Amino acid sequence: MGGMTGLLMALAVAGALLAVSLKNVLHAIFGLAVTLLAVAGLFVVLGSPFVGTMQVLIYVGGITVAMVFAVMLSTVVQTHQAESPWRRAGAAFVAVGFAVGVGLVIIGAGLPKGLAPALIEDAWSVRQLGTSLLGDYNVVFEVLSVVLLLAIIGAIVISRREEDVVTPAPAAAVEETHP
Amino acid sequence: MPDTVVNLVDSPALGVLIGIAGVMAALTVNVLFLVWLERKVSAWIQRRMGPTEVGPFGMLQTIADMLKLISKQLITPRHVDKPLYHIAPVFVFVPVVAAASLFPFDEHVSLQNLDIGLVLVFAFGGLGIVGIFMAGWGSNNKYALLGAMRAVAQNISYEIPLILSTLSVVLMVNAMGDANTNGMNLAQVASMQHDKGFWFVLVQPVAAVIYFIAALAETNRAPFDIPEAESELVAGFHTEYSGMRFALFFFAEYSNMFIVAMVATVLFFGGWSGPLLPGAMWFFLKTYAIVFVMIWIRWTFPRLRFDQLMSFCWLVLIPLSILNLLVTAFIARAV
Repeated sequence: MGGMTGLLMALAVAGALLAVSLKNVLHAIFGLAVTLLAVAGLFVVLGSPFVGTMQVLIYVGGITVAMVFAVMLSTVVQTHQAESPWRRAGAAFVAVGFAVGVGLVIIGAGLPKGLAPALIEDAWSVRQLGTSLLGDYNVVFEVLSVVLLLAIIGAIVISRREEDVVTPAPAAAVEETHP
Repeated sequence: MPDTVVNLVDSPALGVLIGIAGVMAALTVNVLFLVWLERKVSAWIQRRMGPTEVGPFGMLQTIADMLKLISKQLITPRHVDKPLYHIAPVFVFVPVVAAASLFPFDEHVSLQNLDIGLVLVFAFGGLGIVGIFMAGWGSNNKYALLGAMRAVAQNISYEIPLILSTLSVVLMVNAMGDANTNGMNLAQVASMQHDKGFWFVLVQPVAAVIYFIAALAETNRAPFDIPEAESELVAGFHTEYSGMRFALFFFAEYSNMFIVAMVATVLFFGGWSGPLLPGAMWFFLKTYAIVFVMIWIRWTFPRLRFDQLMSFCWLVLIPLSILNLLVTAFIARAV
């Protein structure tokens, strides 16, 4: 493990800590952005610049921005309400359980130690990724796109309902008078 | 990659440092020139003189302006969100420098010759939006926030046709080349046009037009300069910034303009390819020609309304770019 990897891992953890500890939702989102950027850096260090770039393009440039946008459109940004200890305990339980579960799966999967497999020349090149995504993992790929489609439809349904309540018919009339 | 400037020196870290310093210096001079060009062209279009006093044709005016901006006091308004307010200019500035270092200026001259150059340019472009939003939010000013909201909505919408239009060029390059061709490598796209003897704007005119419109919107240029519409939003997301912090936003804005023009040069206008003159000359001539058209458009067309902007993107540009991509895919398959 080089110094660069250690630095990026530290950055990722620091960003994650910021994301969960800061009170201001927007600050938390930017903490998350730091984590995502650091993970992108890790991908590059581990020999897949393409996945790293996609991480920046989709997660930092897309997901973070979408989250920021959602916050912008809602009214409450900073919550001062005290949380009940029960809720905290529940959250802690879920978080620890998830971490332990993922850890067990990773250990159980018997992944080879070290960084060697990913560093094989061209193993993670764009061409290889594309071939395996649309070949071996075609079904997964298509299912993912269905999930995304569902998300889009859900967003449209939610926004449509609000629109009907807030803006009644006159919008069309205004449009007509100013072509 | 023996043909990149970064690899010329022995130590990679040193090479990267030299590269960054070089890109920043080149971008600074370029921004000074572009601001002067913008003022001159706008003056010509409006039958004024533009800057005339400092230096020949007023060319040194922007240098004087820069010295003024550097020496100005940095004012921090009292109720800003301090961490975001201070980080924002950096967050806008850094991706620009990174993206600018990816282009092939001549046949074998580039700072970084990466297989994913094109995607990386867009990834860095997307990072800038985060910085813009930090600025708008951190300023604690309603005009800044409105400007940032508009900028974010506009940018994530226009990113789609921007990337889809370039994708059809990538697809075409891959179909035309052999197994080792990579359409996302900017140097390869340029040299393919040089080898084939025609510019891709001739075979991908629809993609070129969509790209140009989307690029205008991505760089917040008129007629899509709604995020900083002076008549309604003071100065948009950078209303509360002054001195050198403001200059960083300005720097990023003009450099972004230059970057999208460089992408257009490489993808649609043959990059460094051209007769007689050296390649780098052609590259910059083409890029500046595209920048000139962008300036020309800004001083010719009025600003769109926001709903017009969004519906134009989602109802016209995105379906058209998807259609263009599909047609390209079918033709690439058939040939």
